[in-house]
Amino acid sequence: MSLDSSNSKQRSFNSTSSNNQSNTSNSKKRKSNQKTLGMAWGANSLSGSRSSFRSSPFSDFGSYMEVKNRKLRNQFDAEASNSSRSDSSAKPIFDGVSIFVDGYTIPSSQELRQYMLNYGGRFENYFSRHRVTHIICSNLPDSKVKNLRSFSSGLPVVKPMWILDSVAANKLLSWVPYQLDQLANNQPTLSAFFTPKTKPADEGTFTHAICEVKHETELLCLKDASKDASFSEAGNSLEWRKQATEEHDKLMCENPNRTVIDGPSNGYSEEPKEVEVVEPSNLQEDDESLANYRLQSCPEQSSVSVSSHCFDNRGIRGSPRSSFIGPSKQRHSTLGDPNFVENYFKNSRLHFIGTWRNRYRNRFPSLLNGWTKSSHSDVSAGLQKTPIIHIDMDCFFVSVVIRSHPELNDKPVAVCHSDNPKGTAEISSANYPARKYGIKAGMFVRDAKGLCPQLAILPYNFEAYEEVADQFYNILHKHCNRVQAVSCDEAFLDVTDLEGKDPQLLASAIRKEIYEATRCSASAGIAKNMLMARLATSTAKPNGQCYIDPEKVDEYLDPLPIKALPGIGHVLAEKLKNKNVQTCGQLRLISKDSLQKDFGIKTGEMLWNYSRGVDNRLVGMIQESKSVGAEVNWGVRFRDFQHAHNFLLDLCKEVSLRLQGCGVQGRTFTLKIKKRRKDAGEPAKFMGCGDCENLSHSTTVPLATDDVEVLQRITKQLFGSFHIDVKDIRGVGLQVSRLESADISRQAPERNSLKSWLMSASASSKEQFDINSRGKECIGTDSEGKRMDVNSSLLHNASVENSVHGTNNASNGGGCSKQNSSIPPLGHLDMGVVESLPLELLSELNEIYGGKLVEMITKRKLQVVEAERSHNSDIVSLSRSVVEMKGEQPILEELRAVPDSGARPNSVAISTAGLENNDLVPASLSQVDTSVLQQLPEELRADIFEALPAHRIQEISALGPKTDNVHHPMGIKSAADNQPGSASSGLSNNMWIGNPPLWVEKFNVSNLTTLKFVADMYYKANSPESLSSILQCTLAESLHPLDATSDAWNEAVHSFSELLMNYIKLKIGVDIEEIYVCFRLLRRLSTKSEFFLEVYNLVFPHLQASIDENYGGTLNIPPHMGCAASTIYSRFELFELEHQSSGFSIYSAVLVHICR
Amino acid sequence: MERKDNQSPQGEIARILVEFLEVAITSVVSLKGIYPPGAFERRKYMNVVVQRARHPQLREYIHSAVSGLVPFVQKGLVERVAVIFYNTDDIPIERFIFKLTVNQSFGSNVEESDLEFSLRSFLIKLSVSQTLTTVLPRDCRWEITAYFRKLPEVSASKDAEMWIPTDTKQWQQPPLITPIKSMNSEPLGLQLYLEHPSPSELLSG
Repeated sequence: MSLDSSNSKQRSFNSTSSNNQSNTSNSKKRKSNQKTLGMAWGANSLSGSRSSFRSSPFSDFGSYMEVKNRKLRNQFDAEASNSSRSDSSAKPIFDGVSIFVDGYTIPSSQELRQYMLNYGGRFENYFSRHRVTHIICSNLPDSKVKNLRSFSSGLPVVKPMWILDSVAANKLLSWVPYQLDQLANNQPTLSAFFTPKTKPADEGTFTHAICEVKHETELLCLKDASKDASFSEAGNSLEWRKQATEEHDKLMCENPNRTVIDGPSNGYSEEPKEVEVVEPSNLQEDDESLANYRLQSCPEQSSVSVSSHCFDNRGIRGSPRSSFIGPSKQRHSTLGDPNFVENYFKNSRLHFIGTWRNRYRNRFPSLLNGWTKSSHSDVSAGLQKTPIIHIDMDCFFVSVVIRSHPELNDKPVAVCHSDNPKGTAEISSANYPARKYGIKAGMFVRDAKGLCPQLAILPYNFEAYEEVADQFYNILHKHCNRVQAVSCDEAFLDVTDLEGKDPQLLASAIRKEIYEATRCSASAGIAKNMLMARLATSTAKPNGQCYIDPEKVDEYLDPLPIKALPGIGHVLAEKLKNKNVQTCGQLRLISKDSLQKDFGIKTGEMLWNYSRGVDNRLVGMIQESKSVGAEVNWGVRFRDFQHAHNFLLDLCKEVSLRLQGCGVQGRTFTLKIKKRRKDAGEPAKFMGCGDCENLSHSTTVPLATDDVEVLQRITKQLFGSFHIDVKDIRGVGLQVSRLESADISRQAPERNSLKSWLMSASASSKEQFDINSRGKECIGTDSEGKRMDVNSSLLHNASVENSVHGTNNASNGGGCSKQNSSIPPLGHLDMGVVESLPLELLSELNEIYGGKLVEMITKRKLQVVEAERSHNSDIVSLSRSVVEMKGEQPILEELRAVPDSGARPNSVAISTAGLENNDLVPASLSQVDTSVLQQLPEELRADIFEALPAHRIQEISALGPKTDNVHHPMGIKSAADNQPGSASSGLSNNMWIGNPPLWVEKFNVSNLTTLKFVADMYYKANSPESLSSILQCTLAESLHPLDATSDAWNEAVHSFSELLMNYIKLKIGVDIEEIYVCFRLLRRLSTKSEFFLEVYNLVFPHLQASIDENYGGTLNIPPHMGCAASTIYSRFELFELEHQSSGFSIYSAVLVHICR
Repeated sequence: MERKDNQSPQGEIARILVEFLEVAITSVVSLKGIYPPGAFERRKYMNVVVQRARHPQLREYIHSAVSGLVPFVQKGLVERVAVIFYNTDDIPIERFIFKLTVNQSFGSNVEESDLEFSLRSFLIKLSVSQTLTTVLPRDCRWEITAYFRKLPEVSASKDAEMWIPTDTKQWQQPPLITPIKSMNSEPLGLQLYLEHPSPSELLSG
């Protein structure tokens, strides 16, 4: 004690140069700590190597102190080795504890020193943040209490009894109960709420150090918030946390230096500036090492973290709290507390009120459903006399808590989450004695304390609230089966059914019962409707009841200030006041029309009704909630992106829990962010959100969900779209709307759909990779195969085909099991575009489609491959028969040509499939959106053609003539078999009706090869309902049959044209895109086949006529090269149709916008 | 977000459609590059990247123009909405036509997401359609024109007053039509196509 008095002032000059000598055995980690330490403290401390030190005028004194400290420590060590008990087997009690005694204590500091000597602790003569673990004192001067932070450097300040008791118990006791009373009382009780439950390993130990720091943070912040505008809380608490961490770190390292480092007596205000340089990444390391430290050598601390008074709800279940001696491991912001979100909501009154409803609904579900169906008609019938009782508990939040504090019964009491007298916590409820002092809900504690210094402030007790609310509703439901719950302490009763009873007697009976059950009073209002009942209650309060006779409504309302009416807030009241309306009586003088004119239809009507005591609302059930969400606007300070991220994940968990609690799932997700305005300083309310911009982004998913993972993914995406600095975020809220009942959506196969979103992306990419690699193999082997002879290459083709097929099947199978049940209209997608999308976009789209997109693309590829194959084998078999028939033909040549043409397309298809997997080059030209392709710059187009297997194009054209020869005899033969007319019969009907459409059947039965072929394509096409995909398949098959002279030719052309015209008729009104695509494909087909050329030329004029008729223009299909073009035009002229000015009445409305 | 209570399906369709049109028209204007690229910023709509006008006046013009259409779209009066680009002689060079069909007898509820799949594909296709369009000369101007099926009755709604009858210059010859995208669902049909003057028009004009 005596030692101290002289030193307390000198401490600020103490310095150390010993950091340099410090054990080099400690690794990098320590170095980084030192560095940060140096930055943080460089200004008024210390280490010899720092320039700040060199410039210090007190360097001599510093070295003196260093020597002195070393000497003292050596002395102590020597004494300790002499005096400590020799039972070295057991760990000494105070192992790792190093105390500093401040001021007068009983027992004296010398005695305490002796204890430390004997029981393996350390005793410091001079205070050092790095060496001392506990400060022992019995009493503190006021100034030190106020400036605790600079006094204790965040170390625990403990009464000497702790040492004595520990010695008596022969083990190290938790210091928490021995905390200095002065401090304990002063600590913001908010801490009580923010006690994390069992602590995760990463932040067990230093909690203690931190907790004090945190308290002080608040104290200091409050005190000096105004003084130091640039004071950054975030930086500050970060810093302090770091310091605490470092202190522990030092301890852990058992730094032998006799370091006396000064407490931050120069004031904290300098610190933050330095702090900002500190790399937060160090923290991680520190945390880890701390965790280790705790595990190894600090048993007492871990025990503390468990045993410390958990004011956590679980801890106090059932036991009414009476005091707030806080272990105070509080976390004021997201910065300190990894469980911030959880704790935040655990302690939020609004959260309680918000979630109470679910609880209520779950409790009384049958009651709610029971009467609503039956009762409405007679309610409206009895409207005139319907007695409504409105019951409201008197200052619910206070009176429930007060039950366990009978001594406070007539004293002013308020409920608030923090009782710090200087705090900016808001009072949430005040009792009537307190209200007399002008204390209102929403007031800051410090203002309330200003009005009424003796105001007692109690914390919430959510357990008790729940209990009382349940009792309350139990009673109400017992007496009456029509209850509309307004909130946890307020309800309307419709007692029409209870004709026999006098509502007034009933009300008093209920009130009495409530009082007996809950020891809390309730007030009741009885009137003819809900409005009047509610007004009556306000008159009745506190603890009374009031009946408004229907005849006396006007009398009651006349003098009533308009603000008393529900629905009239400040703004409306102000407006009315400007019109000289202050009471309901005055309001009644204004006509409904003029009210509606001034305030809008709805509000006007409401005002008119209310001023006459008219309220047509029925006592109904709770409204279904439209959205579920959670919002945190207090204590939100983020250090970095990762930090914010973790916070979001926690928020999602909370929202997911709430959704599950309500039994609903939602589709629209809105992320709201409060962003600090640029010029806004720190808010007046501690850790509040202050002046903020409200930003929000939302997204809608096709399937409702309450799954945490999905929520988290969506939220991450939403958050990403804000692009803001996380340090500016002051509040975050996640709202889920478009709710669906979870039961319904769960009936859908196991909501896998959404899961599959997440899974399928990765799964399918894996599959793709699989296919890809196999595809490559195939290509490799295939090219070898080409060198083989006919038979083996054929075989080879088959096997290649199989292997590709197999893979695809596997992937499809995998996909199917995860597929969702409702199929999104994939058909609307322009596959050409989809496939050429960048990979990221594609995968995003794929996600939206639950992975189907990729599947579809693979299928598509498969089909192409399949088509190639079937065609090949056709050709081969044909050629065989031909060869047999025409023995004289040069066989060798024929054979060479066929396998070549057979093998090639196959290899092409596979190799393109491989390519596509790599860089999304479309599988074939047919899949390229030609309209896009055409418009590409020349070089780009060339590149694309190059990327596509170049030989393919030649291949196709090369194939044409040869196969024509082969087919020719067949074509003629089949045509001859055909009965002319069979195809044309019924063509006038719409050929597109049915599934498959009529024409497929028709074409199939007709013996025309081409038509059959097209019909085949129907089954091969991806989305056979669209002709374009059929044509695309046709194009991919690189046909082609018959040049003809016979009737069959004409027949086929006719049939096909008819089909097209039918199709045009079908689609002209709704989908010219499809028609456009079809005709572009046709045009391309026409370059390869006379047949399609003929068809095209025949139908094209018809098409243009239809387009003109419907759209007043012509379809922009550029004429094809060569002869095709001239044919088109000659034919077109024949048809020359008069341009009818289209049937639109031209009323066009125009807003003109001149562009600069 | 919770607006759709007591709204008819048509009202909901109109709301969705008009919102979509606002985005799509902005995309068209941005695509045509008549304003510097800096006049637009990237936004996400229906989960695809779209352009949004940064200049409040431009944004407001597009917004007010299309939102004024809501009551008419709802009643199925609007047949086409055109974004027309004129040269300095006030002769249209290019017209982007949105042809709408709102099913008046569609009775069940419309969910935005149902339409979203289809509408999104417009935005995607539109973003790669630049090469289908003509290059605009300097100093052109553009406007939004709506073609109605019949003259609407004088409406009490204020929004609608923004729309005034007009005579737009027509081409002498039927234009060339280049479809960009079509969708046809039960509640709503929508087609987007381009109109360019036919080659003969250019000669005669």
